[in-house]
Amino acid sequence: MFKAFGKVLRNEFSLYVISFFCFLLLWDWVAKEQILGRSLAPPLDVLKELHRLTTVKLAGKDLFGHIWDSTRRVFIGFAIAAVFAVPLGLLMALNRYINALVKPVFDIFKPMPPIAWISIAILWFGIEEASKIFIIVIGAFIPCLLNAYNGVRLIEPELYDVIRMLGGTRRAEIFYVSFPAAFPAIFSGLQISLSIAWTCVLAAELVSSRSGLGWIIIQGMRLTRPDLVIGGMAIIALVAWLTTLLISGLERLICPWKRGIKEGYL
Amino acid sequence: MAYEEVKIKTPLVIKILSAASIVTFFGGWELIVDLGIVPSTMLAAPSTVFKLFVVKLTDPNPDGALLQTHAWISIQEAGIGYLLSLLIGIPLGLFMGWFTVVRGIFRPLFEIIRPIPPIAWIPLCIFWFGIELWGKVFIIWIGGVVPCVINAWTGVNMTNPTLIQMARTYGASDWQIFRKLCIPSALPMVFGALQITLAICWTNLVAAELLAADSGLGFLITMGRRLALPEMVVLGMVTVGVAGALIGVAIDALEKRLLAGIRR
Repeated sequence: MFKAFGKVLRNEFSLYVISFFCFLLLWDWVAKEQILGRSLAPPLDVLKELHRLTTVKLAGKDLFGHIWDSTRRVFIGFAIAAVFAVPLGLLMALNRYINALVKPVFDIFKPMPPIAWISIAILWFGIEEASKIFIIVIGAFIPCLLNAYNGVRLIEPELYDVIRMLGGTRRAEIFYVSFPAAFPAIFSGLQISLSIAWTCVLAAELVSSRSGLGWIIIQGMRLTRPDLVIGGMAIIALVAWLTTLLISGLERLICPWKRGIKEGYL
Repeated sequence: MAYEEVKIKTPLVIKILSAASIVTFFGGWELIVDLGIVPSTMLAAPSTVFKLFVVKLTDPNPDGALLQTHAWISIQEAGIGYLLSLLIGIPLGLFMGWFTVVRGIFRPLFEIIRPIPPIAWIPLCIFWFGIELWGKVFIIWIGGVVPCVINAWTGVNMTNPTLIQMARTYGASDWQIFRKLCIPSALPMVFGALQITLAICWTNLVAAELLAADSGLGFLITMGRRLALPEMVVLGMVTVGVAGALIGVAIDALEKRLLAGIRR
């Protein structure tokens, strides 16, 4: 009896379940006993609130409308950044003159957190869509460019030697070695960009907006409704996670040759 | 490395191009503002920003504190959050990588927290801690702990399995393998986390201060927007960038010294 029990306690997956339920129970208990004051809603209330939001309109949109608003901003900004940053990064890595021109300016902008741009974006574009998309583009641009750049630069020189031995031209080097070898790095750059894009859209919506998931959270804060805040957080986590899955699916489709260092956690 | 590294001299053209690029950037920026192509209510010329920088070193108006006070407050908040995320994240990641029980208990919680952007915690933090120091530290901590755990965990996972099997054959206990094999082999990954975490902490700090603060560099930027002073916004952004870059260089130097005997 005790032995079986101990075995359950040592099994990873049963521990996952136990830990998850303990977390929910603790959360529920803390919320019900109001240990943190009225600032925490029990998990069931959060679910109820989310369910209510699917039918009730908040600022003219139901929950799906707000989710779509945020997702659309993320995808527009992310697409613009990827379309410009990846080719620029590749060009910088392949041509040292372009590199000499762009790198110094890029190095000035690199250490600036994208969120620091929010204020200037609002001065430039107002609080409409454009300023939010601008922030996302800025945030997503840097990892896209850096990864494309480093992806090409860190290619093993032996690969180039091989193609040169076979009589390949510079063109062949670029198309048969540089691009395919840089693909995995580019995709990991896209993954990083996407998560930064979500952070940026959230920050922009928290500072100023009339719709979107960040707006739901800030609305919950203004009305002191923790269920709304936590519900918004949960939905963001879920949507951000789903979009990440989308990119990794795309990666598996487009570049199946990616050498998995460790298929699994990362 | 078996062969000596060959130093390749940078051609003069490249150096000139780099210098020209920087000069054109700042010159163009100065010109478009001075010539009025971009109204000065939207963008400040670099010279104006520099003037404000000199003034802000001695004059606390109009936002209530000197530039160095703002910077110091920000660095304090980021530093506390950063150290806390290292102190908790790295051991947690190491233990999660090796001990099944620790992984079983903490992985679900970690997977719940991981996809939530740290910025989303800001409202809850304001409920819980107010807009004082600890609210911001919490946001920085929760953002910084994630890369620490992931890197430490991956580092342990990358331990050479042959070594582990060998240690087992010689009768090493779990704890001994963890201490003598897993931790040393995870160290390069752990040190990699130092830089990543720092960048994330610094970003989150700015976000936290944009929303809830009464001092700090993020607050300086927000005040610049509220007062419609673009030079203050740009000054805040530049200070954030420079401070972040300087801390990054410091951590890099520290890392090189600490890792002198480990990497090659």
